[in-house]
Amino acid sequence: MTSIAIGRLLRANTAGCVMGCQVSPQEAPAFGQMVRIPLEDGSQVFGLVHEIHIDDDGLVRQLAGSTNLSDEIIADNRKNRNMPVEMSVAFIGWQSGITLSQTRPPRPPLSLDKIFPCSDAEVAAFCASGRFAYLRMLLRNEELPAADLLTAHLRQVRAAGGADLENALREMIALLKDDYPQLMDLLSAVSEVVE
Amino acid sequence: MTNNEMNLIPEGQPIGYVVGGGLKANLFVRLTVPADKVQEGGFVVLESGNWQFYGLVTDLQLGASDPRYAEMPAAGRLSPTVTRLLKEQTLYTNLEVLPALMLERGPEPGAPDYEAWARAHQNENTPRPLPIKTVPGHHALARLASAGDVAEIFGTPDEKGYFEIGRTREQDHPVCINLDKFVQRSSGIFGATGSGKSFLTRIILAGLIQHNAASVLVFDMHNEYGFDDTASDTGQAVIGLRSKFPSRVRVVGLGRKSSIRGKTPDLTLELRDSDIQPEDIELLARELNLRETTSTTLDALVHHFGAANWFGKFREMSIGSMVEDDEGKKVPAPGSVAFWANQAGVNVAAAEGLRSKLTRVFNRPYLLHEEGAGDPLKEVIEALKAGQHVILSFGDYESDLDYLLVSNLLTRRIREAWEDSTNEFRAHGKAEPRPLVIAVEEAHKLLNREMAAQTSFSTIARELRKYYVTLLIIDQRPSQIYDEVMSQLGTRVSGWLGDENDVAAVLSGLAGRDALRGMLARLQPKEEVLLLGWGVPMPILVRSRRYDQKFWDDLLPRNSRSVEQNIKDLGF
Repeated sequence: MTSIAIGRLLRANTAGCVMGCQVSPQEAPAFGQMVRIPLEDGSQVFGLVHEIHIDDDGLVRQLAGSTNLSDEIIADNRKNRNMPVEMSVAFIGWQSGITLSQTRPPRPPLSLDKIFPCSDAEVAAFCASGRFAYLRMLLRNEELPAADLLTAHLRQVRAAGGADLENALREMIALLKDDYPQLMDLLSAVSEVVE
Repeated sequence: MTNNEMNLIPEGQPIGYVVGGGLKANLFVRLTVPADKVQEGGFVVLESGNWQFYGLVTDLQLGASDPRYAEMPAAGRLSPTVTRLLKEQTLYTNLEVLPALMLERGPEPGAPDYEAWARAHQNENTPRPLPIKTVPGHHALARLASAGDVAEIFGTPDEKGYFEIGRTREQDHPVCINLDKFVQRSSGIFGATGSGKSFLTRIILAGLIQHNAASVLVFDMHNEYGFDDTASDTGQAVIGLRSKFPSRVRVVGLGRKSSIRGKTPDLTLELRDSDIQPEDIELLARELNLRETTSTTLDALVHHFGAANWFGKFREMSIGSMVEDDEGKKVPAPGSVAFWANQAGVNVAAAEGLRSKLTRVFNRPYLLHEEGAGDPLKEVIEALKAGQHVILSFGDYESDLDYLLVSNLLTRRIREAWEDSTNEFRAHGKAEPRPLVIAVEEAHKLLNREMAAQTSFSTIARELRKYYVTLLIIDQRPSQIYDEVMSQLGTRVSGWLGDENDVAAVLSGLAGRDALRGMLARLQPKEEVLLLGWGVPMPILVRSRRYDQKFWDDLLPRNSRSVEQNIKDLGF
């Protein structure tokens, strides 16, 4: 289990949260990546990064308008910027003790809670803990870019190994088969991952 | 490996689950195996709680959870795995199952309540298949019937009186008919020409003769059943029933010089003038183009000459002969039809017309005009009563006139004889009559709407069950047979029928006929038959047995025959 936090929580509800982090190509979580947020009571909440948002500030605007920007200035602005990179996370489950649940967490994490990327083992364990019931939360949420998000997620699941992607697909089809356009969008996207 | 073997589903493997339906609308089963693994007519078992339901697949329907999944193939747009998974969940096949029987199977052995249930269902309380009265629940699993299921419903060839008529199409399990039940009511074998009716008839007749629960009389219009023959389509030798049952089967030839397939029959049948009664002539109304006045004229003839002599006397009358009376006026000569007609008060033209038309009958070579020449009809009847089986071959007399006249006359006499025997049995405790099955080819010629009321056949089909006589009707145009007769048929065995009216006629009076109609119309042209009616527990589609050496080896295993039987069969 990695112990390097990638950011801290800015705001949250039981459906998801927004975290803030520094811009670092090596450490920044990717779109669709699975993350976890440990809580004070020992439990933890799991989610998928579904949006990465970089806001500007006055300094960035000034710098963007100037010429001859050195690499050092750019790196300094990215590392020490006033406005953090915001990443939105959709919750997909939680863990308390040895119990893993693929439903919404009982309560949201608190502000400035640390957020960690999930390891392959954690991804595999979470997926194997149920029948991909969390896909329901992602597919029923119209705010989420479901096709791309799930494609990215499945790519991570496949890389992590241990989970049956066909079962995940069966669950997606079962959830969306009454919505032909959305299902076909989704399936044409995930066809990239599941040959 | 044959295609059939490749398509086999392992015994007991579910093929789907119930998704809807009812008693009236049939049941719908969602298939979980490829559609080509199940065919129309398949015998399926549905397991639901303590009950097992038996039904017949009557239709397969392709469906989609959204029509667009079916209309727009996804293969080009999605990866193969995704395409496969999408098909699995959005495209499906529903079976339509005609439920027929249900059987209480009780709790699973080992379950807490099993012992009590087993104790309560011993011996005569053993659960038996019942006509369907309820339906299996949602998601009850469906599977193809196993050999045990087929045996539970249709019996096994090893049981006494059970005769294998064919095998289930998919799983190749033997399907039997109960011959004791088969002979209790009239039955029918139907199928378009070339669908194998004659072979199927031979198979059933062989089973009846071997089982020997009833005597069999076959009106063999085309000389097919007695002696060995050659198949018209394949040119192969076809073994005759007489060849295999020489001690039990008597071939009777019509006419003194009859020769059947180049062989001499065991007996010769000739009719005497006194055998012929007005109803035998009335039956020929269409064949001889008789008028409505025929009945009146025949009545007058019988009244005038008596039932035993009218035919001979009428034959001896001349037409048109005149003499001069005392006044020199021309009048009908004594011995002429007109002379008799005037005496009897019958219209002369009608009587002369009838006499003229009956010339065809008078000239039949198998009619004996002298009395005292024995009673061949009685000999045939006595042989049947004694337990022999008779195949009446018409030899060269294959015209409808011969067939209608002789078969009706003989059947009328049989009807009288069996009615007498039955009354003797019931009133005076004499020997119980031996059941008799009369096999009638081209039955529509004798049992059509116009004639049914006049022939003995319709009476037998409707009423003579109580007198131990039933019919085995063999025909290619069942729609031409009188509805009342068709509705009385117990067991119906039907091959492929092309005409919609024929299909409807075979199914008349049966439950679920709408569902079975399509199945009957889509049978393989050969060797596939639908068994249905009172004589079988439920309708079932079977691949009929082949009438070949293997059939005979199964029916008459050499080592099972006693020395006595072999000696008898050799004719000693």
